[in-house]
Amino acid sequence: MKLSNRYNKANILTSIVVLIITGIIYYVVIHFILTEKLDRDLAVEENEINQYVNTYHKLPLPANYLDQQISYKTLNGINPEREFLNTIYFNPKERESEPGRSLVTIVHLDGKTIAVTITKSRVESENLIRIILLITLGITVVLLLSLLLINRFVLNRLWRPFYSILNRMKAFEVARMDTIEQEPTKIDEFNELNKSVNAMAERVRQDYKELKSFTDNASHEMMTPLAVINSKLDSLLQTESFTEQQGALLEDIYHATGKLSRLHQSLLLLAKIENNLIPDFQQLELKEMVAVKARQFQELLEKNKLTLTADLSPVKVTMSRYLADILLNNLFSNAVRHNITGGHIFIKLDQRSLSISNSGKARQIQTKIFDRFSKAVDSDGMGLGLAITKQICNLYGFRIDYQEKNGAHTFTVYFNVELSS
Amino acid sequence: MKILVIEDEQALLESILAYFMGEGNICEHASDFVAADEKISLYSYDCILLDLGLPGGEGLALLTKLKQLKKRDGVLIISARHSLDDKLMGLDLGADDYLVKPFHLSELKARVSAIIRRKNFDGNNEILFNEITVDVSAMKITVKGKQVILTKKEFDLLVYFLSNRNKVVTKNAMAEHLWGDEMDLSDDFDFIYTHVKNLRKKLIEAGSADYLRSVYGIGYKFGEV
Repeated sequence: MKLSNRYNKANILTSIVVLIITGIIYYVVIHFILTEKLDRDLAVEENEINQYVNTYHKLPLPANYLDQQISYKTLNGINPEREFLNTIYFNPKERESEPGRSLVTIVHLDGKTIAVTITKSRVESENLIRIILLITLGITVVLLLSLLLINRFVLNRLWRPFYSILNRMKAFEVARMDTIEQEPTKIDEFNELNKSVNAMAERVRQDYKELKSFTDNASHEMMTPLAVINSKLDSLLQTESFTEQQGALLEDIYHATGKLSRLHQSLLLLAKIENNLIPDFQQLELKEMVAVKARQFQELLEKNKLTLTADLSPVKVTMSRYLADILLNNLFSNAVRHNITGGHIFIKLDQRSLSISNSGKARQIQTKIFDRFSKAVDSDGMGLGLAITKQICNLYGFRIDYQEKNGAHTFTVYFNVELSS
Repeated sequence: MKILVIEDEQALLESILAYFMGEGNICEHASDFVAADEKISLYSYDCILLDLGLPGGEGLALLTKLKQLKKRDGVLIISARHSLDDKLMGLDLGADDYLVKPFHLSELKARVSAIIRRKNFDGNNEILFNEITVDVSAMKITVKGKQVILTKKEFDLLVYFLSNRNKVVTKNAMAEHLWGDEMDLSDDFDFIYTHVKNLRKKLIEAGSADYLRSVYGIGYKFGEV
């Protein structure tokens, strides 16, 4: 849940509750006050009737005027209390029943007890209450609306620097060595956030740089002894007085050295791609390169009895020829290496993508397939090929995808990221 | 052939020298920039093996120097730097080839031989070995005057063997030579066997002696029986 939504929710809920409670109190109090006033008016009327009776010794005429009715009733024996009550009376002027407030009181005249009922219309006070209620409701709605609007526009604008910092953080890539730009804002919190983020990025970058230069140096330093081992092995081999067993040992050593130098070269290559140190851009005819690569792998295909089917259309891409070659190499090697004897490879190249699909053992492949040194348990590869492939794709804004369906493993390189999704 | 090896790593230098010695090759060496500079100025070589990172100076400067002296020595750069820039710059400055460490000595020898052939016999690029004659530029092979038809791979393989005659060449090195070292098929070089077998068969059928021998399953040796 977004912060502003959360805030909005709390804000609006509280406002509604407070306004409802205020409304109720308002209603009750005003109702009470108006009833009091009516009652006082009724009492004044009662007083007038009493004075009239005392002065003239007769009852005033039961009159109906100005929303007020007076009626008399001679009582026999029963002595009702003086009381105020809410009634409904017939207003002859409006020709309809209206709510009223009555005062029943007793007048003693010539030894008779007469009950006088004075009734006044409550319509006006009801109207007043209704109007007040409506105004209150109106204010509530307006208040809520303005709250919403304020939250929507003001809060959004207030938070804008935050989101822009967030976006920059998301786009931050340590390898690219770029800075998280300052977002100009007058708000202290955001300035502080900006500063902290930048400081953190700087620290990360520094650490990364150190690590990278360490890797670079280590690789270079490793190269020389490796070259020496290799050359000494070659020299040793020339002395040629080995037993079969020694020969086998030598082969193993060759094996391991070969693997080590390839590993080493792959790591260097990865570092170079990451740092974009391979600038040689050119337009390549990919179809031709794929065809050449297929020829290069001919022996391997034959050896594993693989059938290769290719559906190629002319496609031009702009990238380094060196990296394009490595990309194809890795995809081909992968398709051959993880194939089954007598299997097949299907290559499809069109304007959108290049996909290489191969038969193979159906297996659960981890999502980490493009990670460094992640490889199948029984694979004798180094686990760097796909990492390199992925890096090359990243460098040129391609997207690489892996899918497995009924034992068919497919790698697809989409040349244009926007079109792929 | 007269060869100068400029390399500061003593162990590597020794291996290279040992591999190139014999067969009438004269090998000299220099281990730092000053010594190399002196040798280059004083003498001429068929081929110079140049390491780029030298104590006392940058190897590329020697290339510039050679150019200034208008020398026609072949130059093969051997460098630990697997950088395209270095490679292009080296080739721009007049180097003939570029080999990245670590390398197989047989590959080094094959490249040096190729450079020397190109330098010394402009256009007339031939390798002679007993009854076998290889015209490298025309890609033509004759055994006792009779032409033998080889595939591209077999031809490359034969030239590679002839550059490394009497040496044991590993399958690994052969695979990297024929398919490039980016192929990364690690351990599986058995398919080389097919090419070697075919080459051998064709040569013998054409009347050549059987010069190819398998060595401990690691590699092959091409040379006098």
